[in-house]
Amino acid sequence: MRILKSIIIILALTVATAVGAQTITSVHGTVSDDMGPLMGATVCEIDGNGRIIESAITDMTGNFTMRVRNPKDKIRFSYVGMKTVTLPINRTTFKISMQNATTLTDVVVKSKKRVTGNGLPIPQREVANATQTLSMQEFEGLAITTIDEALQGRIAGLDIVGNSGDLGSGSTMRLRGASSLSSLVDANPLIVVDGNVRQVSLDNFDIASANNEKFAELLNINPEDISDIRVLKDAAATAIYGSLGGNGVIELTTKRGVRGKPRLSYQLRLTGTYQPKGYSLLSGDDYTMLLKESYFNPEQSDAAANIPELNYDPSFSEYEQYNNNTDWRDAVTQWGLRQNHYVSVQGGGEKATFRIGAGFDHETGTMIEQKLQRFSTRVALDYNVSERIRVSTNFSLTYTKNDRNSDGLLDIAMKKMPNMTIYEQDPVTGENTSAYYTMLQSGSSVFNGNQKDYVNPVASAKLAKNEQRTYDMQPELIIQYQLLGMDDDHWQLNWRGQVLTNINNGYNDRYYPQELKTVTWDSGVNTTSTSSSKSVTFNTKQTLTLIPAFKNKDHSAMMLARFELNSGSSTGQSEDKSGAPSGISSTQGGGQIKNLSSSYGQSRSMYYTVSAHYAYKGRYILDASLRADGTTKFGPNNRWGYFPSASAKWIISDEPWMKPAQKVLSMLAVRPSWGRVGHQPGPNYLYTSKYSSTNKYIDMMAMKPNNIRLTNLKWEIVMSYNLGFDIGFFNDRLNLTIEGYSQTTSDMLMQNFRIPSNAGFADVPYRNSGKMRNTGWEFHINTNRLITVGKKFWFDMNANFGNNRNEILEMDENVLNDLNSVYGFSNDETLRRVQLHNPLGAIYGFRYKGVYQYNYSTFNRMTPEERARFMAEGKTAPVATNADGSLIVDGQGNPVRMMFNYTNDASGRNYRFNGGDAIYEDINHDGQINALDIVYLGSSLPKLTGGFGFTFNYGPWRLSTQFTYRVGNKILNRARLHAEAMIGNDNQSQAVNYRWRKEGDITPIPRAMYGSNSNYNTLISDRFVENGSYLRMGYAQISYAINRKYLKWIGLNRISLYASANNPFIFTKYSGVDPDIASGGWDPAIDNAQTPRSRSYTLGITVDF
Amino acid sequence: MKRIYSIMIGAACTCFGLTSCADFLEIEPLNEIIMERFWNEKADVDGIIAGCYSGMQEEGVIKRMMVWGEFRSDNIGVGRNITSDNNLEKVLKENIDAKNSYTSWKDFYTVINRCNIVIKYAPGVAAVDPAYTQSELQANIAEMVGLRSLCYFYLIRAFRDVPYSTVAFTDDDQTMDLPATKFDDVVDSLIVSLEQVKDQAVKRYPVTKPLYQTGRITQDAIHALLCELYLWKKDYQNCIRYADLVIASKKLIAEENRLSQTSGRTINNDQDERFNGYPLINNMITSGYYGNAYETLFGSDRANYEDYNQEIIFQLIFDDSPRESNMIANGAVNSFYGNASNSMGLVAPPDFIFDDIDKTSSRSIFADRNKKYDARMYTNCNSSEKTINKYTTRTLEINATTTTPSVDYGALYTEGQNGSNWIIYRLTDIMLLKAEALSQQLREGSDQETVNYNKPLLEEAFNLVNAVNKRSVCQSQLVDTLLRSDYGTKSQMENLVMQERQRELMYEGKRWFDLVRLSQRTGSTQTLIQAAMRKVTTGGDLIANKLTKMDAIYWPYNNDEIKINKNLKQNPAFSSGEDESYEKTK
Repeated sequence: MRILKSIIIILALTVATAVGAQTITSVHGTVSDDMGPLMGATVCEIDGNGRIIESAITDMTGNFTMRVRNPKDKIRFSYVGMKTVTLPINRTTFKISMQNATTLTDVVVKSKKRVTGNGLPIPQREVANATQTLSMQEFEGLAITTIDEALQGRIAGLDIVGNSGDLGSGSTMRLRGASSLSSLVDANPLIVVDGNVRQVSLDNFDIASANNEKFAELLNINPEDISDIRVLKDAAATAIYGSLGGNGVIELTTKRGVRGKPRLSYQLRLTGTYQPKGYSLLSGDDYTMLLKESYFNPEQSDAAANIPELNYDPSFSEYEQYNNNTDWRDAVTQWGLRQNHYVSVQGGGEKATFRIGAGFDHETGTMIEQKLQRFSTRVALDYNVSERIRVSTNFSLTYTKNDRNSDGLLDIAMKKMPNMTIYEQDPVTGENTSAYYTMLQSGSSVFNGNQKDYVNPVASAKLAKNEQRTYDMQPELIIQYQLLGMDDDHWQLNWRGQVLTNINNGYNDRYYPQELKTVTWDSGVNTTSTSSSKSVTFNTKQTLTLIPAFKNKDHSAMMLARFELNSGSSTGQSEDKSGAPSGISSTQGGGQIKNLSSSYGQSRSMYYTVSAHYAYKGRYILDASLRADGTTKFGPNNRWGYFPSASAKWIISDEPWMKPAQKVLSMLAVRPSWGRVGHQPGPNYLYTSKYSSTNKYIDMMAMKPNNIRLTNLKWEIVMSYNLGFDIGFFNDRLNLTIEGYSQTTSDMLMQNFRIPSNAGFADVPYRNSGKMRNTGWEFHINTNRLITVGKKFWFDMNANFGNNRNEILEMDENVLNDLNSVYGFSNDETLRRVQLHNPLGAIYGFRYKGVYQYNYSTFNRMTPEERARFMAEGKTAPVATNADGSLIVDGQGNPVRMMFNYTNDASGRNYRFNGGDAIYEDINHDGQINALDIVYLGSSLPKLTGGFGFTFNYGPWRLSTQFTYRVGNKILNRARLHAEAMIGNDNQSQAVNYRWRKEGDITPIPRAMYGSNSNYNTLISDRFVENGSYLRMGYAQISYAINRKYLKWIGLNRISLYASANNPFIFTKYSGVDPDIASGGWDPAIDNAQTPRSRSYTLGITVDF
Repeated sequence: MKRIYSIMIGAACTCFGLTSCADFLEIEPLNEIIMERFWNEKADVDGIIAGCYSGMQEEGVIKRMMVWGEFRSDNIGVGRNITSDNNLEKVLKENIDAKNSYTSWKDFYTVINRCNIVIKYAPGVAAVDPAYTQSELQANIAEMVGLRSLCYFYLIRAFRDVPYSTVAFTDDDQTMDLPATKFDDVVDSLIVSLEQVKDQAVKRYPVTKPLYQTGRITQDAIHALLCELYLWKKDYQNCIRYADLVIASKKLIAEENRLSQTSGRTINNDQDERFNGYPLINNMITSGYYGNAYETLFGSDRANYEDYNQEIIFQLIFDDSPRESNMIANGAVNSFYGNASNSMGLVAPPDFIFDDIDKTSSRSIFADRNKKYDARMYTNCNSSEKTINKYTTRTLEINATTTTPSVDYGALYTEGQNGSNWIIYRLTDIMLLKAEALSQQLREGSDQETVNYNKPLLEEAFNLVNAVNKRSVCQSQLVDTLLRSDYGTKSQMENLVMQERQRELMYEGKRWFDLVRLSQRTGSTQTLIQAAMRKVTTGGDLIANKLTKMDAIYWPYNNDEIKINKNLKQNPAFSSGEDESYEKTK
């Protein structure tokens, strides 16, 4: 190689000297435009590779002189805004008159907009798979704070569900339904930023919730930095991501610098947020009355209800602390305020362009004492070494400091007894002191385990510390080299090499002071904890793209080969201490060590990708790709997974015979595609037996086998078919896309697969078992200036809807048996049924028919005539009836009393219903309520999801709105179940004020009964199954751009102002706070009272200097 | 130029192609050892053996030893906070279904599998590690067979028929859904495998490892296990033979101890008279004060291993400061029987046991003749606190200087730090098993021939029982509380043995198994019902009715097992926990 090089150099030198004798050594001349001489124009000598050899700049009179190294090179004249002139060096004097680049209007440029993703640069029109692209220009000037907000309601088939309104908690996304049910496989779509996949390398980090948080972090990229979002839906599109893209891919492209003068832009947004309230809670007075009743009812004894905390007895030493009406929820919620500052500078010349963006966010939560601060910066530099070689570097840094609450404040506030005070009150005057009040350990024993354990939420927020800091750095270096031709007329071979490192450090400091607990010192007060984690991942990608140039322009093709390698490691450590001296909140301050732990994780993977694109006459298109994934997760026999895909497209509207229709129908294409992707399990080392240490025995160090090794664990395979139609009307002013898909997951990775425990282990971590299919269709419309009136007004709209249906095709019988729960006849117990050929998410339960008005004894005392009249009047008592509604009587003529789960060997609940108890429909009329009376109550899968939006523009004014909706799904409102259960000491919803209190009461709310087994009023029944359909206004924004001519005098280019409302209202029949509840895994959608999505109002300004 | 490019491309391609992906994708965990690097030396074998024992110590195992072995019997009643363990509450109410978590056998099979893994891999280690001798290997295998047999023995006594495998489960493609093997077949298999290895087991551990002698399976432990297995098999000859081997071995240890005793220790002269020549630990602390045997066996006297070595055959060694020692504390005893914070655990003795102590005639547990002089009245339970005392207190001292003895209980173990060793076999247990075997050889009838035949058997059996009984009599001037003349027939002797076992082994997880063995032998659950009914105050008829079925005295298989093992058939006496009416509609 070296010899070859030297030979070449020597040869080149010889040639150069040989020719150089009689040639030009320097040139001079002037550069001007039609206005006169140009100062600062660039003159340079460029070689065959486009590399700049020599350069000069014109002076005030437009003159230049430049040495010439090689007269075989070319001379190039360039100036910003002018058309570049390139000439051979055939004379010594050049008089150049440059032309304005923008005046060349008569030249028809047949440029094709190309896809800027991670694959081939295919012309947009030739894309043959199911993708949807959003340009962030659409959101220019709008107050989008996160990517998911921008995506909400815009992408057909993408279901975005808010996780909770807590700061930094993000959303859950499902593209075309969940394709895997294993919770270790992240079901969120893959996020790709500028072609880079963010790998989470912690082995023990892959629990679903952590993933959601990680996912949220990814979405935290400042929307101002994003130029394009592309959502890849079908397997043909995602196949180049192999096993990572099984849940769909969201590709984000960040902005890069643009040539020109440096442009500075500043943006400020101020947002106020608050939380919707949901059901009203009982006041202290109502609460105490309820509780006394609830304690009295089961035993019918005043003694049971004699609890000093509820008695309002001034002789009780804590009387003042329990005679209040505290609204705990009000005390822990607030209006949150968010400030987002963002500055960007961009510009550059011919050689280099740059873009630097920096943002600072400060946010206070809707819960008190929550605070988030984030500083993010992103630098993008591009340097053209020559026309062929381009070096780019990106650097991004995000620092986040999140002050979180130590307890789930809202949850506690909803349960905490409202007659208790926040601040300790003076026993004499009853006035608040400065100390927070916490229930004493000597309080009544009925509050053990509930009210006594609920911390004072206000005190917890103010006194405890839970600070999280993360630093995320991502430097990247890219080299692009055009090895052969540089335009479409020549064969092109381009190499792109990328190296990326991601460094993520996280720290968490916690302190939980003794004031929040009334327990004794030795059971752990003043707890402190510190933990930190570090992870480094390294990624390199080498890509070769070949674009052949065919003589016959009907053919066009391109090919890509890529090799990618990932390697990452992470370490973490944590230290917990307790009993630190009061006032010291760091683990360094002393105390007893409770726990010390450290962790280490490692990940490696390797991918090969080949991909090809071919188009004939620009209307018959074929694409194919193959990706090989190598992973450490499998044993040597299954280490590599191969994921092929193929797609085709026929643009019918481009056919010559369609010519007459082209005026109206600008696009009509059909796209079939097929692809195979796969999933891998989360943890490593599954295929080998592992041993680890365990508790010592006597003086012997003990070891134990840890697992059953998985001898033949395979990839979970998702095979998907997609058929799409693209239809465009009126020169693509109205675009319509219809997609239908079927996606079959086989060899499903079933997690924690139960095995007979006589094997020494109760489960194996994974097994390939079962088959599942998702089928569905999507439809979306968007417009491009659909209606324009005059020059000033135009109107646009977008709409999409989709539907996904899922069915289990095959499943191991043992898995099914294991998944299906045995009903235990308890309140609040959901019955799970997973059945073949049925979708997931079905809700089962009893049918609720109200409340028994009268006691059994009352009915039993009646004469037959009275009974008949009673029944005819529609009154209710707990007696059994036949299918025809007639009374069932026993041998003595007494009516048969309704029972719950009666068994004659006393192993059942054998509960006898009475007045005030819930009436459940006795479906089979056997005189008792048992598992046989459980019926199907609905599905938690929506029939339709989607969104629509409108944009109106009038001159500088613009209004845009976006709505999302979901139709036809049921939600099990467990939050309401708990709020109306009246079986414990938790605060309840005001609905319980309408409870049954005495015989004859007609009400839908049963009586108050303390004790979880004292009654069966809160079995899962249709009382708590609600329609989850909704229509939500995602956002409405109005913006105004001040006319540039009014700004010139202060030297500004742009000022735009905007105001927006996010999530301002929702139309729904759902009685909970927010119907945005998704079904997860095997279970139906259950509302467990998560923090609702907050509502917010934003004011913003963007200034361009 | 083109050539250079093609060379470059070629080079790049080869680079990619040759990257040794096999190595790159091979990573190893840091906190675990993979199989390929394990099983190389003796220490690896020792490690897993220790892991077998620490697996036995898990709360899941000890709790089930207690619950299966005793909690359904008359010895155990409801304690404090029982509502916090709903499953246990159901067990005590004899309302057991297949959903009950105490029907889970997983933790036992975990130990069994570890034993099988040692048996599978240890020979390979012996082949590569020259420091690991053949006799050590055989001793280790004997130890593992012993421990495995013990686990299976617990399982069959609880469930009757269980899946039986001596194959180690390491791979997910092995057949795991085994059908249950019949009780008798399991017993036979256990006996065969134990007989094979019994002579290779360690007889005596070196004195430098004093806790190993009782803390690990020795030949004595295997003999004890064989003794009881033969008793269940109704092979009384062999039962007695192995009991004698154990007793002889313990005598030898006692003799050695006596010879090596330093002057500091007192030798009680009445030892031989009291214990009929059996090497039992003297209960006397000083004249008039008793409790020495309790402290040595169950209490704090851990240093006196020389003493308890002569009585304890096999026990699981716990530690009272688990955090420092990295060993396990006895969590099962701590939560079931009580601790310093909750002197009453989840269970407590039923009232009739305390009534029995106060009575002077027609007692059901203690002999009428014994006027509160039986130390076990005080060591088993604390009648003022109404709590179980055995294993929960480190020390106690019975003051028998007055006519009615009084007792001074020491502090209970701190919560979470119960260090009492859990005894599985001790000498009195074996002595009483032998007595039981002897009593089974007795014949019914009163003719002279029978009397002559019975006489030596009765003598020997009584001798054994009486020795156990006399040790606990808190009188310096011993007055026999049992009279030979009271026990002249087979049934009298049988009853005596049962009673003595109940008194002696109360709260050691034996009583229900004794009743099951009795029911198996007689083919009737009558005695078992009578005994179980003693603690029941309400709903007795229903329970008695349930227990008349022989199947009902065992435990149901856990529902989770039935669901995934189609070859396992549920014990017909138990409901699955599901509503049975489902079946009818299917």
